[in-house]
Amino acid sequence: MQRAGVGRALVCLVAAALVAAGCGTSGAGGGGRVRLTVATFGEFGYEPLFEEYERAHPEVDVVGRVTDFDTHHRGLITALATGRGAADVVAVEEQYMPRLRRSARRFADLAAFGADRLRERWPRWKWEQGVADGGRVVFALGTDMGSLAMCYRRDLFERAGLPTDRDRVAALWPTWEAYAEVADRFAERVADARFADSAGTVYTAVLNQAEENYFAKADDSFIGDTNPNVRRAFGIAGAIAAKGRTAKVTTFTPEWNVAINRGAFATVTCPAWMLAQIREAGGAAGAGRWDVTAVPGGGGNWGGSYLAVPAQGAHQREAYRLAEWLTAPEQQEELFVRSGILPSEPEVYRDPVVLGHTDPYFGGAPVGALFAASSDRVRPNHRGIRDADVRPVFGRALGRVEDGAQDVAQAWEQAVREAHDLIG
Amino acid sequence: MRTQVSFARRGREAAPYLFIAPFFVLFATFGLYPLLRTAWLSLHRWDLLAGPVEFTGLANYARLFADPFFYNALANTASIFLVGAVPQLVAALGIAALLDRPLRGRTAWQAVVLLPNVVPVVAVALVFTQLFMRDHGLVARILSALGAGPLDWQAHAWSAHLGVAIMVLWRWTGYHALLYLAAMQSVPRELHEAAALDGASRARSFRSVTLPGIRPTLLFTAVVSTIGGVQLFTEPRLFGGTSTGGNDRQFQTLVMYLHERGFEQLDAGYAATISWVLFALCALVALGNTALVRRLVGRW
Repeated sequence: MQRAGVGRALVCLVAAALVAAGCGTSGAGGGGRVRLTVATFGEFGYEPLFEEYERAHPEVDVVGRVTDFDTHHRGLITALATGRGAADVVAVEEQYMPRLRRSARRFADLAAFGADRLRERWPRWKWEQGVADGGRVVFALGTDMGSLAMCYRRDLFERAGLPTDRDRVAALWPTWEAYAEVADRFAERVADARFADSAGTVYTAVLNQAEENYFAKADDSFIGDTNPNVRRAFGIAGAIAAKGRTAKVTTFTPEWNVAINRGAFATVTCPAWMLAQIREAGGAAGAGRWDVTAVPGGGGNWGGSYLAVPAQGAHQREAYRLAEWLTAPEQQEELFVRSGILPSEPEVYRDPVVLGHTDPYFGGAPVGALFAASSDRVRPNHRGIRDADVRPVFGRALGRVEDGAQDVAQAWEQAVREAHDLIG
Repeated sequence: MRTQVSFARRGREAAPYLFIAPFFVLFATFGLYPLLRTAWLSLHRWDLLAGPVEFTGLANYARLFADPFFYNALANTASIFLVGAVPQLVAALGIAALLDRPLRGRTAWQAVVLLPNVVPVVAVALVFTQLFMRDHGLVARILSALGAGPLDWQAHAWSAHLGVAIMVLWRWTGYHALLYLAAMQSVPRELHEAAALDGASRARSFRSVTLPGIRPTLLFTAVVSTIGGVQLFTEPRLFGGTSTGGNDRQFQTLVMYLHERGFEQLDAGYAATISWVLFALCALVALGNTALVRRLVGRW
């Protein structure tokens, strides 16, 4: 009897630990100030903005909590399920949006605070991902978006006898097939580094260039096994993995950071938000080694997030005001210029300051032109409700190819079977 | 007058119940209620966020017993336990036997032996995960210095199980050694002296006097480490960084599987089912263990 109690307690402890890591409790700060917690993951670049907000609103004390992607979202879900422990403002990444939309009642309806008047800030697709009940309920405000490019190491390209100039590098890989050929050329000349970070990153990039992935846009049915887009992405990434062209480091893990720091791979498909993470992992020594150019297959989107206000919060109106301010055009522009977080609002990404922005860490690459200029063409991928469940199944399949445990066909077959079992 | 007397008497009668009440209140809150609530959840299709979807009776249990991932997790849990617990208890016994001799600075040694156990498990797991990192880990460097190729610890089932078992071993050996030591010191010295007079060797005396003398403690540690083994979570979870335990679930334990279903796929009903089966398993294994140790060590 007691043992099962201990078992449950263990689970609860873990859940509590996740919650504690991801979020914090809110309450009145010292001197009657309202304390607002903001839980984000990865690099949102919000810290300086919090200070700015506090200066403009002396009655508010803003505390940021940053964890990694998985910890953040699991913690958020646990907090929503138990009704306590969520921060006042929480970030949600796009792949979790369909599932959370179903539980939109766990978030404050921001329309009640006037959010419906903000509609014109965003392109239609970005706005619509954050609403529920046919648009009557607004539960999340858009922050950034992904817009794909390719980051590459100039020094490693030079050693491989490849061009280093970004236009000529882009010309090397008009298609993903050409990219795979460049990987072979690279491997002939460089032995101590791999061409790509992981098969999973390549896969995600190819997949995200298609509008439909695992679920049909029309009726949300599972099409992962028959959709040629999925098949093609898996084949391209799988072949690169099977040849050992990847450093086998999963994105955002400590190993990935170490690999960036040591120059263990030469290219990584990078959405705008990843630049900050590469800069962080590469440190000062990595400045000028990286550069950014166009991705094979002509653009695409990867990720992008939202801010929401959990209904369990004690200061929802104040939390909304903060979220509204953080997602406002002025702040989005500041975030891009300072941290490279790509704005999702046309008014901002068409701004000449944004378009003309360059990044000295990435060899002075014209990141404004690379990311922002293609923003008008960004289209959302359709995300099924169970997208977040199915996605890792295919990621692990590619991992098995990288581990050398299976060939591409076996891995694919097992992934499809697992996905079917999962969907039921 | 009369009512006062009866009030006092009633108070005296109630007192013992009041004294033992805290245990029952705590047990009901943290033991019984979660247990029953979990049982209730396990009879439903229950979304962690949305709540109950429908009552499904024992369907979750039927699904679980036909689920290959469940058996995979079960086999991994058993394997990691065997790789970890057996050497751990043997090593603990050896350390205890060493500490049981006249020794300079014994208290200091005992403190050192217990040290790994007071380090938080998350810290232990993180340090070992760093040591076992494929490309830049310390173990990888030592292996390549010895001429062996780099080993991807997480890629193979055997190496991943070994890695996790080493973490468990590191953390619990000293703790069990101290338990054994305490038990050994309560074995009457006269028995050892009598054995020595009869011409028994040190090893013989250890086998015939010490081991039977500490039998209850052996039993206790066997049960505790089995239950710990069945509920293994933190070390393998942090080792792989995900609840799936490797790309082919090669080191996913039962509790990791529970976590994946419940907190990643939000299938609270199924997760509750797993925890109930886990509970039954703990009870069964503990019983089996008792029987086994009783048979292995003497028949006192």
